[in-house]
Amino acid sequence: MDTSHSHHLEIHGNSILSELKPELKIFTTFCIVFSIAFLSLENNLFIFLQFFIVLYFLFISKIKVKTYFKRLSIDIPFILFALFLPFISKGDNKVMFEIFSVSVYETGFNEMISILIKITLCVSLAIVLTATTSNIEIIYGLQKLKLSPLLISILSFAIRYIDVFIDEFKRVRVAMKSRGYDEKGIKGLKPIAYASGALLIRGYERGERVYNSMLSRGFTGSIELKEREYKSSKSLLLFSTISICITIIDRVLI
Amino acid sequence: MKKPYLSVNDLSFEYPDGFKALKNITFELSKNERVAVLGPNGAGKTTFILHLNGILGNLDEKIEINHLKYSQENINKIRKTVGLVFQDPDDQLFMPTVLEDVMFGPKNFGFSIEEAEQNAIEALQKVKMLDYAEKPPHHLSFGQKRKVAIASVLASKPELLVLDEPSSNLDPASRRELVEILKNLDISLILVTHDIPMALEICKRSIILNGGKITTDDETYMILKDRNTMEENRLELPFGFALHHLDE
Repeated sequence: MDTSHSHHLEIHGNSILSELKPELKIFTTFCIVFSIAFLSLENNLFIFLQFFIVLYFLFISKIKVKTYFKRLSIDIPFILFALFLPFISKGDNKVMFEIFSVSVYETGFNEMISILIKITLCVSLAIVLTATTSNIEIIYGLQKLKLSPLLISILSFAIRYIDVFIDEFKRVRVAMKSRGYDEKGIKGLKPIAYASGALLIRGYERGERVYNSMLSRGFTGSIELKEREYKSSKSLLLFSTISICITIIDRVLI
Repeated sequence: MKKPYLSVNDLSFEYPDGFKALKNITFELSKNERVAVLGPNGAGKTTFILHLNGILGNLDEKIEINHLKYSQENINKIRKTVGLVFQDPDDQLFMPTVLEDVMFGPKNFGFSIEEAEQNAIEALQKVKMLDYAEKPPHHLSFGQKRKVAIASVLASKPELLVLDEPSSNLDPASRRELVEILKNLDISLILVTHDIPMALEICKRSIILNGGKITTDDETYMILKDRNTMEENRLELPFGFALHHLDE
């Protein structure tokens, strides 16, 4: 059975970002996200500057508007949480106005605006990164950024075996359905729970077999990915620096 | 008397749950010899080959390959000398691309990056999978994965290749290609299989493992002809397969 590989987020386009060093893209994303997270949101100019940086990356990533908004939906839980804040986060008890006799507090309202802006900008950057960088490249980039070899190994295994497990789970479900299993309703959950448990045990056993096969090829404790060639870009570093400077000016100087 | 290339002396193994998987196995193999290991399910075939690779067992020097005794200090040399191809290629191929997976073994065994890549390319050429070098292994068909799994072991330049049921789940064409690849390899070979025609085609000699013991050690053809031995060990020729055609 083929997998749909639905978790592969990279879009094979002709964006200039796709050809750049993954470690540079990860570093830039981290710097800008970090800067946005620490922005005070008191000065509109700085918000707009950060917004334009993100917009620039969205533009050069050549990601389609429809795909962008579809992927942006991942922040819906955060938005829902943020929408409650004006009603529950009282701060200094300053009421802005009332909706159906429920008070809307100024502190909560400001927090909501802050979360909405920051989440949207940060998720947009994550979308740009994942759309222009394959899973393998992200691991390679993290390796270049000297992330722990153990974490690199765990991430590589996760990417490699997620398809195998999705396939196995699909096969189990097909086998269940072929014996008249109806997954609707609460009753349908119990067999799924059993199947998940069986899959977990199979996963454990497979882990042992994979480890044996690694041992047989002289595994000594860490795996390293092959060197790859990518283009470098000073503009990414420039944008990272600008973004950090904006936040420093916002926080320290003003 | 000349010493055998591989010798296993009185090897026994018991799993932690008390199941005795191997009982007093004694076995010898000459250089460049090809031997099939036949036997019913649960006979101890996989346990036996895991010992040959130093993965199971306590390495108490009951096995010796090319004057190299099985011990903890020799473990890396042993694993380089004995290449093991596992039954399920998904257990073996875990790196992000085919080439990186094939390079994994040589890099661990001390080859330089350049040598590892060169070995990997040669091994992929041998199994006719070089065109797939940059593909992720999980996007390959089962037959292609099996070939890559073999390449991933060949790239370390083993002297003895051990394969665990290499023809299982393969379509007839893939099986045929695999047989051709194995026949053209110029190294010692131990082939664990239920595929009796494949054993006959590749290995002149066969041993039968049953209940953890070697019950028969003979020419493959002679074993297949002996109806009693076949029945006692739950072995059967495939439907329509007749040995007398080979006699003609």
